[in-house]
Amino acid sequence: MRLLVVEDETALRESLVGQLKEAGFNVDAAADGEEGLYCGREYALDLAIVDLGLPKLPGLELIRKLRAESKSFPILILTARDKWQEKVEGLQAGADDYVAKPFHFEELLARVQALLRRSGGWAQPILRCGPVALDPRTQEVTVHDKRVELTSFEYRILEYLIHRAGEVISKAELTERLYAQDFDRDSNTIEVFIGRLRRKLDPDDTLKPIETLRGRGYRFALQRDSGG
Amino acid sequence: MQPRSLSTRLLASVSVLLILFFGITIVALDFVFRDLAERSVRDRLDVQLLALISASEEDSSGGLQPAAELAETRFSNPGSGMYGEIVRADGYPSWRSPSLAGTGLDLSPQLKPGERRFGELHSADGAVVLVLSRGIDWEFSNRKRRSFVYSVAENQEPYYAQLHRFRVQLFSWFGALMILLLGSLAILLRRLLAPLRRVEREIEAVEAGQLTELGGGYPRELLGITTNLNTLLRSERDRLARYRNTLGNLAHSFKTPLAVMRNLLTGTHDLPIARQLDEQVGRMDDIVKYQLKRAAASGGTGLGTAPVDVRDALESLRGALLKVYVDRRIICDLEVEPGCMYFGDREDLTEMAGNMLDNAFKWARSRVRLTASRLSTSGARRDGLHLIVEDDGPGIPVAERARVLDRGARLDERVSGQGIGLSVVRELAQLNGGSVTLDESPLGGARIEIRLPPV
Repeated sequence: MRLLVVEDETALRESLVGQLKEAGFNVDAAADGEEGLYCGREYALDLAIVDLGLPKLPGLELIRKLRAESKSFPILILTARDKWQEKVEGLQAGADDYVAKPFHFEELLARVQALLRRSGGWAQPILRCGPVALDPRTQEVTVHDKRVELTSFEYRILEYLIHRAGEVISKAELTERLYAQDFDRDSNTIEVFIGRLRRKLDPDDTLKPIETLRGRGYRFALQRDSGG
Repeated sequence: MQPRSLSTRLLASVSVLLILFFGITIVALDFVFRDLAERSVRDRLDVQLLALISASEEDSSGGLQPAAELAETRFSNPGSGMYGEIVRADGYPSWRSPSLAGTGLDLSPQLKPGERRFGELHSADGAVVLVLSRGIDWEFSNRKRRSFVYSVAENQEPYYAQLHRFRVQLFSWFGALMILLLGSLAILLRRLLAPLRRVEREIEAVEAGQLTELGGGYPRELLGITTNLNTLLRSERDRLARYRNTLGNLAHSFKTPLAVMRNLLTGTHDLPIARQLDEQVGRMDDIVKYQLKRAAASGGTGLGTAPVDVRDALESLRGALLKVYVDRRIICDLEVEPGCMYFGDREDLTEMAGNMLDNAFKWARSRVRLTASRLSTSGARRDGLHLIVEDDGPGIPVAERARVLDRGARLDERVSGQGIGLSVVRELAQLNGGSVTLDESPLGGARIEIRLPPV
């Protein structure tokens, strides 16, 4: 999942980026509104965290511009003023949720995950497709209620696929959303990880959870249980 | 007692002045008229007396009689109002004019020769009669000298009738003049005071929120007031905006470091010192939040700002909260009395309603109800606002209610982790002259009610 953090306070931005990376996200950062707008336009984002009090281009304007350009990824606003008028304006401008400073990172993370889940069309906190269940809050994956141990990167690929279960996702999209910009983008690595995931989730080769559509990409093939 | 209006004052003072002026004039004219009239009567009587004296002839009985051809014929006509008499010093009435018949008048007093007397008598029918008498010494042809008193008198009734006519005319002319003067004064006042009435109308419009400031085109004398009033309205608005902006910047520059501190503490919750630090960060945050929200409250009259469309403001809030709490699948009913307006600050209203609604969404199981209606107070030109937020959550226990509302004000005593939203609501409501009540809702949960009387 690729996130954008737009925050002018360097210390806060850096600590946020670090913590989000640690939580398994691919994170871009911008220090002002204009840079934020550039990133929002150019990158394939899954979610943006926008501080309202930004230099150059205020957060509200940034959100309006992104929404006017039909960018539909969820936006979480950070507000220091914590005024209802401001929150209402932010939500009306196109933001989806707000977190007031100073926040606990756990709370921010929970909001981010809820927004991502909802944008994938999931209503429940645990994502279930048949026997496969994924809990973004704990990053736990179970098959038939048995825990499956995944590496961090395997988990990120699976999370992305399940989030958008039923949709075809190209290798390029996966690479873009999951790798940081400076990462070695060898698409063969994706194939390797998909192969590993299949073996871990479906050792008997009976479920066939991940489909390969030649030349187009992958699809998580199991039916969503709820909220789909 | 309410001070009387300018025009009433002016009209009243001018009326008093006019009555005083006309009164003195009437009295003076009346005096002059009477004086002149009396003098002319005296002169006339003088002439008659001299004529009577010069026309006198001796008669056989040692008295005096006016000659038969006496010019004044009125002496001979009874009821003519002109009387004459010649009385000898020993009281013998030598001659009485025929006109005296039936009047019961005895004109002549005792006078020494050369003496003159002017007097007033009443005839039998009550009429006032002016009398001029004079004593003379008459030397008869037989060289005998005798004293006589000559008197002439005139009935004053015609004079009084004239005086009455004069007075009636005087009063009617002055009355008409006064009505005319007061009428023109009233018209003049209307025209003169028209700009003042316009100021009043425009101030009312500003109060009602139809105007943000007074218009132009006032006369020079009022321009000072209207310009200053506009400056005041504008500076009040600007001041609030500037003030809020400063507070907002303060909040931003204060809370961002707090956010950094909190973030640095992430993942260290096992350390007791980290927990304590985090708690202190929370306390600082709450203190700043509470005090800044209090400081940012307008608490004002909302003069010069348009009234807030309550439905619009609440609808926006409802939409925002439904978006934020979408996972909770809460049903939020909104009932707003048609035409409900808030004559105050939009930010204050949004802040109060936002905190109330947020609290309700936080605790509700599935339903939140928001009701807004007008709060009319007798004698107030504008409506107040009555807001009720209810939920079907667990409610607030009676024992807790006072504490929930008080939390922000007693931050030092509070236990960390509890919201200060409702105490902010109370603070803002009080700053706007209103009150908050916590109760139980028929929905099963809490019922929070604020009453904001008109300012």
